[in-house]
Amino acid sequence: MTMRNWIQIFALLMPGLGLILVLIGSVVYIAIAQSFGYYALLGESAFSTEFWSEVFSRKIFSRAVRYSIYIGFWSAVLSVALAYPLAIWLRKPFPGSIGLGALLKAPLLVHGLVAAFLYINVISYNGLLNQTMQGIGIWAEPRRLQNDSNAFGVLLLQVWKNMPFALLVLTGSVQGISDDVLDAARDLGAGPWARFRKIIAPLTMSGMQAAMVIIFIGALADFTFQTTVGPTNRQSMAQLMVSFKSRGDWHSAAVVGVSLMIIALLGSALLALLTRTVMRGSPR
Amino acid sequence: MAAIGIRNLSKSFDGFQALSKFSLDVQQGEFLTLLGPSGCGKTTLLKIISGFLEPSTGSISIGGEDITHVPPESRDTALCFQSYALFPHLNVLQNLEFGLKQKRVSRDQRDARVSEVAAKLGLETQLSKLPNQLSGGQQQRVSLGRALVMRPSVILFDEPLSNLDAKLRDQVRVEIRRIQQDYSLTAIYVTHDQSEALAMSDRIVVLNDGKIVQVDTPEQLYAQPKTRFVADFIGGANLITGRVCSQTKENLTSVETLMGQIQTSHRINKSSENVELCWRPERAQIGKGPYCGTIVHRAFQGQFTDLILEENDMIFRIQTNNDRFRVGEVITFSILPDDVVVLEADG
Repeated sequence: MTMRNWIQIFALLMPGLGLILVLIGSVVYIAIAQSFGYYALLGESAFSTEFWSEVFSRKIFSRAVRYSIYIGFWSAVLSVALAYPLAIWLRKPFPGSIGLGALLKAPLLVHGLVAAFLYINVISYNGLLNQTMQGIGIWAEPRRLQNDSNAFGVLLLQVWKNMPFALLVLTGSVQGISDDVLDAARDLGAGPWARFRKIIAPLTMSGMQAAMVIIFIGALADFTFQTTVGPTNRQSMAQLMVSFKSRGDWHSAAVVGVSLMIIALLGSALLALLTRTVMRGSPR
Repeated sequence: MAAIGIRNLSKSFDGFQALSKFSLDVQQGEFLTLLGPSGCGKTTLLKIISGFLEPSTGSISIGGEDITHVPPESRDTALCFQSYALFPHLNVLQNLEFGLKQKRVSRDQRDARVSEVAAKLGLETQLSKLPNQLSGGQQQRVSLGRALVMRPSVILFDEPLSNLDAKLRDQVRVEIRRIQQDYSLTAIYVTHDQSEALAMSDRIVVLNDGKIVQVDTPEQLYAQPKTRFVADFIGGANLITGRVCSQTKENLTSVETLMGQIQTSHRINKSSENVELCWRPERAQIGKGPYCGTIVHRAFQGQFTDLILEENDMIFRIQTNNDRFRVGEVITFSILPDDVVVLEADG
């Protein structure tokens, strides 16, 4: 290849490269550098590993890591698990399927904060759920449902928000499987679960992995749902990062931020691998 | 007892009658072909037999057992799809084993059956390949093998050769027939290709508008088509209408047509009746004869030459081994009474 070709390729790649290198690269660089003591907003900037050792030694950090992974993992798994049957159901058009598909994807258009406030209104002490449960005689008194300690509210909102995205990705993948292939599996004795497990899941693996990873990363770094409906006795990593920053401790916040990125990267790889192993199974 | 018994089967889709009161018995080890134009109901019938469609009315039995409402995964049938429908993410071995695993056949049995079929179909060296690494013919063989390893009571073929080129089609056609005979399988084969049907079948069911038009052996169907539809659909046919004018003692009937008087040895019930006659292009004997025509078109086909003749505003088709005839020549020919078939009215 001539120099002219190289220049041409470089020029064509510049818009994409510029975005990746300048915008993302600079953020990653600043976060890593700040976590090692550089770019101090107050005081002296110098290389130091003390912020890493200090943050890692704190119990609140390890709890935040575990909690964020819990939210990220289950949000991804539940969203995809719910989206799959819907994607299979909507695979073939039927009267009303377009409207139904649009309705199921509507949460994509609602901001998470709005959804969280709506949810709070529904589950609040004098909210719709408590009124209904009392009205039909199941509960004698209203119950406190907000900020539950198992973060079911956060998971519910994460799934509500992310399932449509998984549905969008999976519908395309599932529609790519020909009727004949599914009929052939059926003809050879495969029931609904075997058809899903051995044909649909492996053939939609890429879509499933993409949905899982993207939802996992988003939910792992959740701040909005956690601060609105999350448990008060736990902090997510994003929440911890913001709390460090609020105290002016940018270096510790950077440590949490870099940790978040590493966990997102490793977690995504592990999740993709796990999905592949579970869905593909052993060949014989 | 018939291997497959179909009784009064009807199927309609949103008011469209795809099959109408269809009844048929298929014998054990028989190769039966469903032949007809697009939309005649042959694939609908195949899907009902395989269980992918439920009939509106009627019943189906295999080996005497009613399977009308049995789902496809529980039927003792195996379907070879037109598109092959191989599982793209599984290699040839895994494709072949798929059904056996579903039926929980033991590992030893599985290996034995797959080895046997792979050897029979010449797939031993392809076992580790993915479907997209195989040629069309090889994919077709895998599809066939996947059905064969199941050792089904009935094997169903849905136009399995339509995606293959002409040469490969001939080759796979022979292979399918050989394997069907080797395993004594009861086979139902769907096609719209009459040459495929004639070459492979023990019996052919000609379908039109969801109804059986004629069921016969290939030879009988070709030589003795019952209706204009069958005569026209199977092979080339010259069709001509005429009026019965006399019957001789030798059981020959003369029919007055635009070609002149044509004699047929086939029975006609009533005299002075208008009838439709059919004769095959290759049955014309060129040379001396009562009929003549001017060649208006000539097409050399290799083994024979197609001649289109015109006489009295009528067009005939004749096939001959002689390639010396040219457009514009006038030729005379005769047709033996045995080769002139009297057709029944369609429908």
